[in-house]
Amino acid sequence: MNMLTVQDLRKSFGNMEAVKGVNFSVEKGESYGLLGPNGAGKSTTINMITGLFPPTSGEIQIKDINVIKNPKQAQKWIGVVPQEIALYQSMSARENLKFWGRMYDLSGSELEKSVDQVLEIIGLTERAKDKVETFSGGMKRRVNIGAAILHKPELLIMDEPTVGIDPQSRNHILETVKRLNGEGMTIIYTSHYMEEVEYLCERIGIVDHGQLIASGTLSELRETIGDHSKIILSIDKDSSNLDGLAQSLTSLFSEKDIQIQDHQVMVFHKEPQLILTDFIQSVAKSGTKITSVDIVEPNLESVFLHLTGRKLRD
Amino acid sequence: MRKIWTILTLQLKEFFKSPGVLVLMFVMPVLFSGIFGGMTMNSEQNKPVVNVVLNDTEISGQILNLLTKEHHYEWKKATRQQAEKNVAAQDVAAAVVIPDDIGERILASEPLLDIIVQRKSETYLALSAHLEGTAGLVLRSYQATSKLEADAFPKVLETIANNKGVTVEKQTIQKETKTNVEASLLFVGFAIMFMMFGLSGAASAILEERMGGTWGRLMVSPASKLQIILGYLLAYFFMGWIQFAVLMTTMNLMFATTWGKLTYLIPFVSLVILSVVGFGLMIAGLVKTKQQASAISAVLIVSTCMLGGVYWPIDVVPDIMQKIALGVPQSWAMSGFKEIISGSLHSATLVKDTLALVGFSALFFFIGLRGIKFE
Repeated sequence: MNMLTVQDLRKSFGNMEAVKGVNFSVEKGESYGLLGPNGAGKSTTINMITGLFPPTSGEIQIKDINVIKNPKQAQKWIGVVPQEIALYQSMSARENLKFWGRMYDLSGSELEKSVDQVLEIIGLTERAKDKVETFSGGMKRRVNIGAAILHKPELLIMDEPTVGIDPQSRNHILETVKRLNGEGMTIIYTSHYMEEVEYLCERIGIVDHGQLIASGTLSELRETIGDHSKIILSIDKDSSNLDGLAQSLTSLFSEKDIQIQDHQVMVFHKEPQLILTDFIQSVAKSGTKITSVDIVEPNLESVFLHLTGRKLRD
Repeated sequence: MRKIWTILTLQLKEFFKSPGVLVLMFVMPVLFSGIFGGMTMNSEQNKPVVNVVLNDTEISGQILNLLTKEHHYEWKKATRQQAEKNVAAQDVAAAVVIPDDIGERILASEPLLDIIVQRKSETYLALSAHLEGTAGLVLRSYQATSKLEADAFPKVLETIANNKGVTVEKQTIQKETKTNVEASLLFVGFAIMFMMFGLSGAASAILEERMGGTWGRLMVSPASKLQIILGYLLAYFFMGWIQFAVLMTTMNLMFATTWGKLTYLIPFVSLVILSVVGFGLMIAGLVKTKQQASAISAVLIVSTCMLGGVYWPIDVVPDIMQKIALGVPQSWAMSGFKEIISGSLHSATLVKDTLALVGFSALFFFIGLRGIKFE
């Protein structure tokens, strides 16, 4: 059963088309990652799904509710963790959680119980009475998540929830999300940290320039680059003859599998151990001094690079 | 309703947590009102001197007795020449002339009393009201006795003047208390000005919440736009009322001021607060940041308060300025407050003031709600 269905979603701001016909669906209980660089259109897509603003065209359905026609009805089922720390800084963590709980129709003992549970989940029971403004960035992010899960939403939408925090808080957040998903909550997680998406999400959509350019499980996405590993030779730039080097490498490998940058020479291959010796000898023969050798297994970074021609954080 | 109440209480709590806001909304107006109100009260103890020019007829004498029923002035007889000299030298606030031909003036329905002043000061305004009241009394007494004996008219005037129960100008001067309309209007003026600063600052918090993300988070909650905006606006409305009530009570305790009939005052204050809330919302809807809102509000509030007669009575400014003042809500608010506090409750004026404020409020809310981004 689909928890979320997005069909041909488009959004224009003036002449600029920020989202260009995005299609995807998320099943109940699934965790789906939206991966893309800043400005790719992830947040705009998320904002339309949460009903913050309407799309220029397209359809969004949460459960069987049309979000564009009945946003308030759909919003009862979703929890939103915005990119910003959307909390009242001069209020305590408990006061913030109670306020947001009331916005989702919780009250009385149900609200108190839910706040206590959430404080436990985000690990801030001890600091519940402290003002949010006294918290570290990581603790604020945890309260930010807490405010979204008070009403036990069926779909939790998280827009870059770990931006600018310490590794300890990041781990806590990732574990919390993993746990919520394990308990049956459907998760949509946007990030430009691919290791987070790799860790959390069963399926991943890659967004670039307002389009969903690939979607699938991690292994399906890896297949799009032929499951090629990457051998990286770091070289001394002063000692290298890049033209001669390129010429000698093309005699051994296909041109599309070679990349030469300022101080790195890279070759993509399905079985790197078979060509490693030839590759090193060929580089050394051209008179280039090698400073290090590295083999990188295919990952989202290489998938993204392969699909878009640029690094995720460019 | 619960969501509206939740937003309302949150906004009020946040608002009153800020020491800066408390200073702006309570300390400053009380301080200003205390200083300037005190000056007004002290000036009352040093009564302005008014020369009276009159002949020695019985009617003139009785009219003088009526005039001196007003104890806020020191009445001194003078010849016309002396009176004009005193007014020119500003030794006296004004001179009142009881003309020799007062009988003919009554018959011709001409103004009964002449007043000589250097300029139209606040003293002149209060004095002219008293003179109009006295003249009206004289005229009515004449009309009532015109068909009786010849000495009936002065006798009636004498009876009125000697009657301790008569308050000649009760409509504008409340003699039973030590207060006056001027002081109360001064307090109201300060209350309006600081309320405008306080509430426009509060309304621009919407802009800050937009930047901070809480506004967006509210928008994606199941609360409707109407519930959210009502929560905010009602909070600002209550803030305005709390400020006004605190100021009224404080001034009452400090200066024993009176505020007119509460049945008129409460709805009118509510309307004034509504238009101030609308003003704040309009500013928040027209600009992008809280800093811009603060700068624009400061310029608009100070200039419109000057034009609208918040700092000084609008009657003392040139006619052209009085006409321009009709374009700002403060002038209508002050006019309405004057009617209510003085007790005159002239219904045509009050209705006009009320309708004007309703119009301004509607305009401000329209612009504000169109400008606010619910995204």
